[in-house]
Formats: sequence, structure tokens, C-alpha cells
Amino acid sequence: MATDTVVLLALAIGILFGATGQLSGFCLMSSLRGWWGEGGDGRKVRTFALAAGVAVLASQILDVTTDVDLGRSIYAVPTFSIPLIAIGGALFGYGMIMANGCGARALVLLGRGNLRSFLVLLTLGIAAQITLTGLFAPGRVSLLTETGSTIATPTIHETLASWSIAPDLGRGLTVAVVASALIIFAFWHRAFRRSPGQVAAGLVIGLLIAAGWYATGHIGADEFDPVPLASLTFIAPIAASIQFVMLSTGTALTFGVAVVGGVILGGFAAAAATRSLHLEGFTNPRSMLRYIGGGALMGIGGALALGCSIGQGLTGLSTLSLASFIAVAGILAGSALGIRGPIRLASPTP
Amino acid sequence: MTTDLRPGWTRRQAIAVTGGALAMPFVSRSALGQGAPWWQAIDAALPLIGNATPSTEGLAIDLPFISEDGSSVALGLSVDRPMTNEAYVESVHFFAPRNPSPEVADFFFSPLSGRAAIATRIRLNESQTVGAIARMSTGEVIVAEREIRITISGCLTRAETYAATDLMLTRVRVPEGLTPGMPGEVTTLINHPMETGLRADAAGNILPQNIIQRFLASYNLATVFEARPHRAIAANPYFRFFVAPPASGELYLRWEEDRGRFSEERRQITVA
Repeated sequence: MATDTVVLLALAIGILFGATGQLSGFCLMSSLRGWWGEGGDGRKVRTFALAAGVAVLASQILDVTTDVDLGRSIYAVPTFSIPLIAIGGALFGYGMIMANGCGARALVLLGRGNLRSFLVLLTLGIAAQITLTGLFAPGRVSLLTETGSTIATPTIHETLASWSIAPDLGRGLTVAVVASALIIFAFWHRAFRRSPGQVAAGLVIGLLIAAGWYATGHIGADEFDPVPLASLTFIAPIAASIQFVMLSTGTALTFGVAVVGGVILGGFAAAAATRSLHLEGFTNPRSMLRYIGGGALMGIGGALALGCSIGQGLTGLSTLSLASFIAVAGILAGSALGIRGPIRLASPTP
Repeated sequence: MTTDLRPGWTRRQAIAVTGGALAMPFVSRSALGQGAPWWQAIDAALPLIGNATPSTEGLAIDLPFISEDGSSVALGLSVDRPMTNEAYVESVHFFAPRNPSPEVADFFFSPLSGRAAIATRIRLNESQTVGAIARMSTGEVIVAEREIRITISGCLTRAETYAATDLMLTRVRVPEGLTPGMPGEVTTLINHPMETGLRADAAGNILPQNIIQRFLASYNLATVFEARPHRAIAANPYFRFFVAPPASGELYLRWEEDRGRFSEERRQITVA
């Protein structure tokens, strides 16, 4: 059945992501600290940029050449709330700095034995579900109704088309500009160019985004019962995974949940293979508050912004939808507040 | 270090009570023998029960525990009984007591069905206990119920990715590689909004009811399966059912709308 194949592919994609993340240290938080902070590793943000550029290029090629239609993903839904997505992104970004890593990073670290990540993942998942379908949901829905707007052309190339630029030309131009900007930014940095591991990580992760679209959009395509179109994202799937392990007798296994499981496995396998397995936790109770708060902000912010550093930063961006650019701007703004400025946070000493 | 329990409780008692409490949400009160059976409050269900004492074994409702999207919930119904000319499942009726109207659909089978099983997608208004009644040709009545929770839709609303624009356009998948009498699955879908008559348009005018009210499947002119959807069948009605053909022949499918429009499909099924 198509669903079973999609779930297996999701597991494989997750394992690859987890292993790559563990071996390369792929992490938006470290990337931004290295880029904006004092004396950090400037390569990691280039890795993220390469991944984003490759994701945009590969996903858009997929959209044009196969039956995968990214315009049907949640990122390209015409009705959304610009303020909620922007604020959600900012909450997520700041929470990511508080928790010293996003949801995807926490999954990889959990695989290595980091129990702080276990706490972050639980609070992230529960806070996200509270926002999606729980106590905060009625508030979220009324805010959405109050501040939402319908945009007839939710993606950049559709907007260009409405300005009378030929659709194929508009899409080609947008992909060329966005992808090359990101890839050139990445390779301009000498230290990055000389790090084959980081270059490989950027390439692999970018391609995994496209693989996710292919799995759900092409392999999962069915005239009667299609698999929901999705790729890598780590807010709702983490919440769904917590639910799934509890309700598996009455809940179906989805792409997102299988990816989450795969990432933990991949992180574990890579850590085991490189003898980096290491149980670690908290030595400082106040640190626990910071990590719990970070997880909660990521869950709430990610739910409002329809995605996280990976979900919007890579997957959403690959659809070239306007909402994703807004979300990414919000995430960067929130992260910036955590790294520089009056409410910045130093790296934690847990 | 020993845990302090309330005086008089042993650890075993405490664990048993906790275990039972945790299972409570998914065991409905009427299943526990408390309160009246769910069908007694539904007018359309009473004549189906009649004077029979319904049994509770054999009818399975396949439904998720929780659904975020009440507008399209995957439902499976199956009766664990052989389908022979002497004794077969005549009909299965499905109810959602907390929907605006509790009748969801009536399904009719025949010995040619091979298996009394149906998969479809339904609309559920809110969290509730749903129920099904199966009637055998022998007069036996089987009932089942199941709790389901419907929550606010999270941000991940499913946009159906198949083409659903052409009204009354149908899609059919028939089984292959069958041997005589072996049940094979037929999957069908028809594009239709299944307008409930409860929705208002942007101007505030109620959109009138417009649903597919009958779906019929016959094989070499003998009726195999019939569905009578009510408005709680989800948009773009999806029906998956079984047929056990004795020999190669033609499957005829017909969808009838409440406004008189209909669609037909004919497919050949090859039996080795």
C-alpha cells in the first residue's frame, strides 16, 4: 500500500537526517551564534544556507517535472495571518536560543544520550499540541480569524505571474535568484569551502527535503486516498509522535511521526559508530527552567508559524511561499534577540 | 523507600484502580452496563433492533481515537460472519448521535459481496460515541459502538491532493487476479460536495441540500452492494467494498443524486 511505502521512506529519510545531523553538527542555533556572536564558527550558517538553496532548487525541479504540486502544501494555503506567523516565528527563534537548539537538533542529541533534549522535546510537543488543539487553540483560532488575510497568490512565482510575468519565467527567475543567493553565500566563505563534511551535510539535507516531497507527493499519490503532502518539519510531528506512542492502537502512523523516529535512530546510530554516545543532563536546576521555557516557546511559536527552523526554514522555503519567508524572517528576528541585544542569552551552562 | 499509600490500600489495589481509570476514556458508559443503550434515543435505529436482543460480538467499527478534522474521518465497518445464501449480512447502519441528524449511512450487502465490509469517510460534528447496527438475513441483530474525540483542526488542515473539480466525475478500481468466489476489493470515488443544507454562503444564504443519496453496485445484473448515504458522508464520497464474483463478468456502478443527476461506470472483472 502506498502509505506503508511512504512510512518506510519517511523512516529512511529521518535516519539519514539524524545521522547527518549528528556527524556534522547541523544546527540553526549554532549557525546563528557562530555568525552573529563573538568568535564563533562561521561555517555552520553556510551549511544551513547550502541546504536551503539545494532544497529550493531540488524541490522546485520536482514540482515542475513530476506530479508533485507544492502549491497544495500547507505552506501555500492562501489564507493565513501575517502577524501570527511573524510573531510565532519570533517566539520560536527566541525559544531555540533558550533551549540551545531546535526540535530537530534535540531529536539528534537525544539519540546521542542528551537527556536535556528529552525534556525540551516533551515540552515542545505538548506546548505545540496545546496550541493546535488544546487549551490555547480557541484563542489561536480567534486570533487567526481576526488577523488572517487571504492572498490570491500565496507563492512568489504566482505573485510574479499576477504581475504579468510568464509563469515559467517567473518561477525560473525566483529559483535562480533565491537558490544562487544562498549557495553563493555558502561557498563565498573560505573555511566552509574547505570543509567537505559541512558541504556534504548541506547537500544531503537539502536533497532530503526534496525526497520528502517526492515520498508524500509522488509515491503517496493515490486517486482515492492520497497521503497528505509534506516534507521535513518538526513541530506537529513531535507532538504527534508523543500521541502516537500512547494511542497507536487507534491512530495511524504518519510520515512526520516516522521521520521523528528515524531522526532519533539515525542520531543514535551515528553516535554509536563514532563512539560519541554520552549520557548528559542538568547539573543546574535553574537551567532546567530555561530549557523548559525554550521548549514551550518553540512549541507555541512553531505551531503559530506553521513550522520550525527546518519546517519553514528549509521545507517551507522550498515551496517559495510568501508565508514561509515571513516565518523565516520571524525566526531570524527572534534568534537575533536571543543572541544580541538587551534580552540576549549567553550559551547555557547546564 | 516505601511509597505512602492511603491507609487500607495495597499496592496491587492501587495499580488495578489506576489501570482501570486510564482505560476509562475509551470504554463508554453503556458498554459498562450503565445507562440506556445508545440506539434507544434514535428513532431511526429502533425499528432496526425491533424485538431482537442484539448481540455485541462480530461487528467491528474501525475509527481513529482522535480526529482533528471532523469533516472527513476514515470509517471502516466489518462484520465477522460468512456470507452464504443461507446466512448473510443484510445491512449495516451507522449512526452519529451527536451530529445534526444521527443517521450517517445505510449499507446493504448480498451473498455476492463475499465479505460484509465497507470503508468510507464520514463527517462528525463533535466528540461522541458512534454506533452501528448490523442485521443478518437470519434475523440476528449485532450492535457496536465506539468513542471518538474530535478536536479543533490544528494548522495542518488536509487539502485533498486529488482532482475534485469535475462534478459527478467518478473513479473506480476493480480487483484483479481473482479466483471464482474469492472476495475482491472495489474502490470508488465520485466528485461531489455533499452539501448538507446547513451551510451558509458568504452572503448568509443557506445553501440547499445536495447529496449523493444512493450508490448501487451490481454484477452481471445481480445486486451486490448498495449504499444509502445521508449528509454525514464526507464530500467526494469514497466507498470501498467487496465483491466475490463466481465467474468473469461486468460490474455496474451507479451513483444517484437527490436532484436527479446520476453517474454510471461499467468495469470488466476477470475471474481465472
